[in-house]
Amino acid sequence: MKKIAVCYKWVLSDADIRVNEKTRELDMEKCKPQVNDYDRNGLECGVQIKKATGRELVGITCGASVAASAKDALSRGLDAVYYVEDPALAETDKVGSAKVLAAAVKAIDGVDVVICSEGSSDDYAQQTGPRLAALLDMPSVSYVVKVGAGGDAFTLERKLEEGSEVVEVNAPVVITVSPEVGDAPIPGVKDIIGAKKKPANALTLAGIGISPDAVKPRATRVSVLAPATSRRKQVLNPEGVSLDQAAAALVKQLSADGIL
Amino acid sequence: MSAIWIVAENPDWAAVMVSAAKSVSADALLTVFIPPLPADGLWEDYAPSLVAKAKAEKPSLILVGTSKRGRDLAARSAALLDAPCFSDAKNLALSGNTFSCDTNVYGGSAVRSDSTTEPLVLATIGPKAFEPDPAGISGATAGTLDYTPGKVKVTGRKPRPPQTVNLGEATKVVSVGRGFSEEKDLAAARELAAALGAEVSCSRPIAEFFKWLPEECYVGISGQIIKPQLYVAVGISGQAQHTFGVRDAKVIVSINKDAECLMHQNADYCITGEWQAVIPALVKAVKA
Ligand SMILES: Cc1cc2nc3c(=O)[nH]c(=O)nc-3n(C[C@H](O)[C@H](O)[C@H](O)COP(=O)(O)OP(=O)(O)OC[C@H]3O[C@@H](n4cnc5c(N)ncnc54)[C@H](O)[C@@H]3O)c2cc1C
Repeated sequence: MKKIAVCYKWVLSDADIRVNEKTRELDMEKCKPQVNDYDRNGLECGVQIKKATGRELVGITCGASVAASAKDALSRGLDAVYYVEDPALAETDKVGSAKVLAAAVKAIDGVDVVICSEGSSDDYAQQTGPRLAALLDMPSVSYVVKVGAGGDAFTLERKLEEGSEVVEVNAPVVITVSPEVGDAPIPGVKDIIGAKKKPANALTLAGIGISPDAVKPRATRVSVLAPATSRRKQVLNPEGVSLDQAAAALVKQLSADGIL
Repeated sequence: MSAIWIVAENPDWAAVMVSAAKSVSADALLTVFIPPLPADGLWEDYAPSLVAKAKAEKPSLILVGTSKRGRDLAARSAALLDAPCFSDAKNLALSGNTFSCDTNVYGGSAVRSDSTTEPLVLATIGPKAFEPDPAGISGATAGTLDYTPGKVKVTGRKPRPPQTVNLGEATKVVSVGRGFSEEKDLAAARELAAALGAEVSCSRPIAEFFKWLPEECYVGISGQIIKPQLYVAVGISGQAQHTFGVRDAKVIVSINKDAECLMHQNADYCITGEWQAVIPALVKAVKA
């Protein structure tokens, strides 16, 4: 049976990043892993294409520690998950991860529609979809906001800076979607329980023909630092100060700053 | 660095990348490609032609304009050339054969610096990352790329509706977020903006999901990056992707019911409270 493969990234939630005020380094201790926000829209897009074309829907991910993602991803409408977990993937970059995902797609029988989202909340480099298309020798259609699917034929609307572009393409194809393609529903209790019964298949790097060399990072990370900020963070209504007083204080401040 | 290639959709952007290239190496040989938009095919489908040329002529750096088309073309080309690609790169530098640059990560919460000794590197460059070179592209060689239509047929193109606001020019901006639960509530923000002589902008969900304001009104790393004198964020949580867009504002005010919100951490002046109460007080004070 033909399959749709949705790639998703298991990332740390960036909302809980704290900055060490002295060193400007990031403290990720409170950050929990989650399915990248944008990929949730990608997964939902897969669900819609499955409905329209009757294909099977699988998820693919890779990383140093991704087995735990399967349950979450499976609660979002997938029939099965394939994951490649290997410590060698901890430091890999776009060059390596696209190779792993492409090899995983090839290892799964019958995938002729690949869906990625435009970027991930950590790097937002927006490379994986087009890189995959190139490596799989499939056409790439990126920044897609509307999908019309019937059988093997796809009518896709892209949103670009200068306007929109409507294209037609037949599977096999890699479709990279923007968030406007559709909101992702929050999985319900039934979806979460159902996820436990669905298959999560482990793939190995060796098993899909990826050598350790292929996933070595191609650049050295020199530093990751938050930019220095110099905002005053002055709370104008501490306890005991009314909103009217705070508002008046703000107007006075803004006049003193030469803004009003 | 021997040869640097520049790929752009238009000469203005190419001129920005001429500056970027010169910042890497003052005496590099520059070749500029500005392939025209095919009538019924993807511009990105120039990628195979670029790749074939690059394999033959071996440039050491390929810069591509960070439009959506540019990103797609750069990523596809990088994959086919088995090369790293740095998205939205800044502070490009070359020392010996080590290339380094900065990219934003975690929605602009942090800057990552990378270095590499790869023989070929690609990087995409934003339209405002560098001042355009005063000489434009006149000092560079004009390159051409052949176009072989790909499997994707373009059947229609529609220009985006004309912009109704120009946030970039505004000196004062009042910005609304999901702290507003209904479209009609924006009237309060508009009243505050009118009192201050400000434009109204918003966070991404307000424009993209609720569509209460046009898309060119949302501020942040994937929206408008602005430098007003005054930015008043009302009911905006202050996620890094948002605050990235106003990092260079002179004064930032945050109005939020949550004293712990990140927007307060990124503001000069904060008022903790519901906008329903704060805005009327502020309008009164401004008019007083
Ligand atoms: C790759 C990527 C790119 C992104 N790019 C952008 C971007 O460019 N721009 C952008 O804005 N976002 C962007 N986002 C989204 C961003 O992460 C946040 O989700 C978004 O900015 C949140 O919008 P918000 O602050 O309006 O909503 P919320 O985070 O929901 O915050 C609402 C705030 O309103 C406050 N509030 C609620 N009720 C009241 C009240 N009555 N009075 C006062 N305060 C109240 C709450 O305390 C809260 O702080 C991006 C996300 C990703 C993953």
